[in-house]
Amino acid sequence: MDRVTPPAAPPLGASFLRLFAVQASWNYDRLLGVGMGVAEEPLLRGLRGSGGDGAAYRAAVARGAHFFNAHPYLCGLAVGAAARAEYEGAPPEQVERLRAALCGPLGALGDRLVWAGWLPLLSTAAVAAIALGAGWGAVAGFLLIYNLGHVALRWWALRAGWDAGAGVVGALRNPVLQRTPTLVLPAMALVAGFCLPLATRWLVRPFPLAGALGCAIAAAVGVALLRWQPGRIKSLWIGLAAVTLGLAGGWLWR
Amino acid sequence: MSAGTLVLLLAWGTLVGIDLVSVPQMMIARPLVAGTIAGLLVGDPETGVRLGVVFELFQFDILPVGAVRYPEYGPATVGAVAAAHALGGSTAWGIGAGLGLLVGLFAGWSLHWLREANARAVRRAAATLESGDIRVLARLHAAGLARDVARAAVVTAVGLAAGWLLVRAGATGLPLRVFTLTAALAGGAALAAGVSGLLRIVGRGASFRWFAAGLAGGVAVLWIA
Repeated sequence: MDRVTPPAAPPLGASFLRLFAVQASWNYDRLLGVGMGVAEEPLLRGLRGSGGDGAAYRAAVARGAHFFNAHPYLCGLAVGAAARAEYEGAPPEQVERLRAALCGPLGALGDRLVWAGWLPLLSTAAVAAIALGAGWGAVAGFLLIYNLGHVALRWWALRAGWDAGAGVVGALRNPVLQRTPTLVLPAMALVAGFCLPLATRWLVRPFPLAGALGCAIAAAVGVALLRWQPGRIKSLWIGLAAVTLGLAGGWLWR
Repeated sequence: MSAGTLVLLLAWGTLVGIDLVSVPQMMIARPLVAGTIAGLLVGDPETGVRLGVVFELFQFDILPVGAVRYPEYGPATVGAVAAAHALGGSTAWGIGAGLGLLVGLFAGWSLHWLREANARAVRRAAATLESGDIRVLARLHAAGLARDVARAAVVTAVGLAAGWLLVRAGATGLPLRVFTLTAALAGGAALAAGVSGLLRIVGRGASFRWFAAGLAGGVAVLWIA
């Protein structure tokens, strides 16, 4: 493939906005692939003129929509890097390999940083704040702070991918990205621990003694079952069983 | 509940439903947010926040990694809040939680059906996709989003209709002890889900020591307060 000069002002904004809907057509065949192709397309428009008939552009769009799986907040890194690699004249197989190589690291990093770090950190903090009387202001604070991190991460990923192109692996070694989980994960664990006694007290407070006892027993039995058979016994089934028992018990207990 | 409030709840539940996966993943799908806003919409913020916290605890037991299947608690929380409010507000949240859990289960199945429908559409368009036709790609993507909007609306409507049926069936006349016991046991189950889920996320080693330190801090605050 020929090298094509990338646009001086790449339409990163259009691509960035499309990345918010990258999972809109999530499916079991290509997972995020179709959404990735849609998000990458604005960055590929500079290739339209390169082959005269737009063949390079169409081939790149088709490649962009192939199978892809990663954390949705970080897949901008692959979008930017793959688009830049197309301008750099990377052979199609290399672009495919680049995308495939990014799936695992971006998925693992995003799951660790966001799903197991940033999100439970702020969510448990919000629950603790509510238990301490903060009311719905805690929910507003959760949304605001969470999304500052969310939007910043999405933008950084796209920008870093576009800047690095095929050398994107270096961007993943960014010290901030490497160090953040080592701060977020302990903070999440600390706040999660802090939240639980407060949430328990807040949930139990309106009940009379018998109700509080019932709540404690249900919690103890539930934890024992969930820890005994992790993955096999689901918390949803325990919840449904608890409500059914409550209905039956309340009806019989006269 | 007025027709206008029902329409607002339906719209809110739909937004919550599409936020989970499709767009924009800004976490309005978290039960804490979905429930609080639903509570404000029905004029019963206390029930909204309470059910929001209950389902948030259930949500901690779910880690949305890869193609794993899980219940969806966002629109379910909206239905739970509407039902609990219609049944008597803060005393009836246990029944609302039960209804929400059922809706969450149904919503989880609907996500699986949606993904299969999207996969079928992709298979049908595979040849044109390989030609790099952006119009086909965009249409496919937009159709996936439209399916999710419809799915989220149906799930929310099912939750709201189930609440309405409970009221019509005379559930408002249940004795107070039924409301109390269902709430107590549902609260216990939610705490179990929260503890189990958070322990799984925290894991062992250094993180667990931080967790234990936080636990001690929480108990100390309760002691002082």
